[in-house]
Amino acid sequence: MEILCLGLNHRTAPVEVRERFAVSISQQGKAAQDLITQAEALEGVVISTCNRTEFYFSAENAQSAFRLVEKHLAETIQFELDSSMAAHFYRLEKAAVAQHLCRVVSGLDSMMLGETEIFGQVKEAYRLALESGTTGGVLNKLFQRAFGIGKKVRTETSIQEGATSVGSVAVDLAEKIFGHLKHSEVMILGAGEMSRVTAQSLVSRGARSIFVANRSFDRAQELAKEMGGSAVRFDDWQKVLERVDVVISSTGAPHAIVQRADVEQARRARKYRPLFFIDIAVPRDIDPAVGEIEEVYLYDIDALEQLAEEARGRRQLQIDECERIILSELAKSKLPGL
Amino acid sequence: MLGEAPWMGMDRWFLIAATLLAAVGAVWGIASVHRGRRSRATVFWIMAAFLCQLGFLSVRGQMRGACPLVGTGEILAFLAWSLTLFYLLVGPAYRISLLGVFTAPVVVIFQGFALIPGVLALNPTRVIGGNAWHETHSAMSVLAYGALALAAVAGVMFLVLDRQLKEQHLKSGLFRNLPPIRELLTSLERLLWLGGALLTVGIVAGFLMPRTTLALGHPIAAVVVWLSYLCLIGIQRVRGLTGRRLSLSTVVLFLLSLVVFAFV
Repeated sequence: MEILCLGLNHRTAPVEVRERFAVSISQQGKAAQDLITQAEALEGVVISTCNRTEFYFSAENAQSAFRLVEKHLAETIQFELDSSMAAHFYRLEKAAVAQHLCRVVSGLDSMMLGETEIFGQVKEAYRLALESGTTGGVLNKLFQRAFGIGKKVRTETSIQEGATSVGSVAVDLAEKIFGHLKHSEVMILGAGEMSRVTAQSLVSRGARSIFVANRSFDRAQELAKEMGGSAVRFDDWQKVLERVDVVISSTGAPHAIVQRADVEQARRARKYRPLFFIDIAVPRDIDPAVGEIEEVYLYDIDALEQLAEEARGRRQLQIDECERIILSELAKSKLPGL
Repeated sequence: MLGEAPWMGMDRWFLIAATLLAAVGAVWGIASVHRGRRSRATVFWIMAAFLCQLGFLSVRGQMRGACPLVGTGEILAFLAWSLTLFYLLVGPAYRISLLGVFTAPVVVIFQGFALIPGVLALNPTRVIGGNAWHETHSAMSVLAYGALALAAVAGVMFLVLDRQLKEQHLKSGLFRNLPPIRELLTSLERLLWLGGALLTVGIVAGFLMPRTTLALGHPIAAVVVWLSYLCLIGIQRVRGLTGRRLSLSTVVLFLLSLVVFAFV
């Protein structure tokens, strides 16, 4: 018996191909059952995320099993499996399957290197297959071992350390200044997409309340409603400054909106508490002189992007170590079907 | 006879052991932080140092027949114990091992001074006719200094983190392991209040204890220190201070307040 994997991901297939093969989470258990009933696999697990769809299965004969699974897929989504379409798929056998799965759960095969979400997604796909009764001794051991190795890779290396996007860098910095954000209030200046995404990250980490100030009050109300916050008239943002801890600014103004004098005016009322400014606008919304005020921490888009880039670079340096751990752990494992 | 007691001479060894353990804790912690990791082991080294400090104070107390707070050596050792005690009490609110990294060197410095030949009396004289107010004054004052020393340690931690955030130097293991700015400031403020309250009890007890000399240096210095801390706490409470000013004031005030011991 052999362990096999047929799949495509963001590296091998564009989104218009990936979306055709995507399997929704509610259908993954059934898709695994279909692998066994329609494609004559002995065991099967189907993993489908926005960046990959992969079919893990065991069979007696690799070549005929791949043919059957491909035929089953062609029938299911009604496409012609010609050479151009087939070129998007990778076909892995035996040890290469185990190595690939370990790389996937460790985040080494992800678009954002080291991301943590994939670990939960693979676990969920495996759980659904387990509940559907499509796993047995071979795939159970493979997946459980892969989860163990994935955890080891993540704890023993820095592959998931550091924020790798502007939004997550901003959130990490906010937590470094304020700790848990449940006692922190946030003000958004300008209802642009970037500030919305960043503010949402802060809310997801527990920020207490959001104030939205925008030149168009209707747009401010719209965004405030979406985020469960309050809209503020643009002329009133200085008043709100007296109570908030974080200010995210992303207006389209051609000049600085927040001047040093505006912040100086609010200091006394704020009792000189720390204040974190995130300026993601170009041209910048916040006068750099604001950052010279003692209790103010000011980060503009370049600083945030540089920090994200550095974190991505640090993760890249960890790849060899991660691969070494995977190979060494797999060598110690006596997995059936390899 | 005291000279024949089995614990005679053990006091110094307890203090040496406590100093070495605190030094190991500091080096261990610094090495961990340098590697970008937090080491829980630091707290165990400091706990072991704390036990040795207790051994020292216990032996010394029996030799004195009173609270061992006579002379600079004993005061420094008691101060180091008090600092360690507050670290162990307050530590869990911080990232404990990292606070230890900052606390352990201060403990080593205090105890190192106490171990300099001549600072700690080899054959301490027994205290005769001890007075409760006197002991309350000494114990509360030194405990207050422990809390205020730890507040100064938190202040140093704040200043380091503040500088790193301001200059956007965020790559070091130290940065990753330091607790958040707001938590540091909250802890610093609480320690100031605690230290201030203990110091108040110490000062009041000091005025109630019987005086054997007319020396005014010590009480004046003590009252000046007490008033300075009172002002700092009051200003912070009423008007507010930036984290940097509060931390700097706490550190400077603590260093200046050590002058009080010159008059003991």
